[in-house]
Amino acid sequence: MRQPGAYSKLLSGGVSGKTGPHSLPLARIKKIMKKSSEDVKMISGEAPIVFSKACELFVEELTKRAWLITLQGKRRTMQKDDVASAVITTDIFDFLVNLVVEDRNNSTAAVAANKLG
Amino acid sequence: MADSPGGYGAGGGSGSHDNGGDGGGGDQSPRSGVREQDRFLPIANIGRIMKKALPANGKIAKDAKDTVQECVSEFISFVTSEASDKCQKEKRKTINGDDLLWAMATLGFEEYIAPLKAYLARYRELEGDTKGSVRGAEGSGKKETAGTQLHSDPQVTADFFLFYFILIYLTSGRLLQFAHQGSFSQGFSYSNSQIEY
Repeated sequence: MRQPGAYSKLLSGGVSGKTGPHSLPLARIKKIMKKSSEDVKMISGEAPIVFSKACELFVEELTKRAWLITLQGKRRTMQKDDVASAVITTDIFDFLVNLVVEDRNNSTAAVAANKLG
Repeated sequence: MADSPGGYGAGGGSGSHDNGGDGGGGDQSPRSGVREQDRFLPIANIGRIMKKALPANGKIAKDAKDTVQECVSEFISFVTSEASDKCQKEKRKTINGDDLLWAMATLGFEEYIAPLKAYLARYRELEGDTKGSVRGAEGSGKKETAGTQLHSDPQVTADFFLFYFILIYLTSGRLLQFAHQGSFSQGFSYSNSQIEY
């Protein structure tokens, strides 16, 4: 009835045993959650599990958008600037604009950020 | 939209930490007093997820991975802050999965909700399975009996094995004694014969 490996089969997850069925380490997610605000006192066991999947979706989306920009530049290797451009041109990634603009001291990015901000 | 900057304001602390580590690859810089492994998810996992999103011929520069790694931490902080605000308003102390789903929907990540709910449902199902009959007991009577059967069977088997093991142990002790005696007498006779010889 209970078969070994049912977990790993259904939830396509971590290659290393460390993460269990999830593709990202839950303890690390919890640490980052706790650090995000003084008010975060207690976190339910399910919360890091939700994030392990949510972060996966987030990384996928950001990567796909950045890749389109890489292709526009007729390149095959995604650069940091492609990620930054994807952030700047996507509304839901507005909260990341400061982070990526600080990274690249590029005037065009700053202009784009101003336009959005 | 007016809500999101407010929610993010609470997470401003993490933003300043990020500034501390921004010196290119110098993430481990002790300036902010926070170790890299406390601020970011492992770069190998991030790289693996990124690669999965690209065609086979797509390549990713290291600095692109680093940027995405930073963005993910910021994403966690962003959503957590929003969920935390909600919990405070509702005077609850624990942030749960539903708070996070709500926060993501509020912040524009509505598209993640359906896959996340499916993931969570599947997880709960499996969790119920692996934790024995706790969830089975909540279900139908049939399931419950199946659960108890599953539980009683190994118990009986374990008892049987214990009994069997003790039996073997005792018997083997005797056998050993026999063997010892046997070899002793053999050795004795051998030595006897040697002496005789």
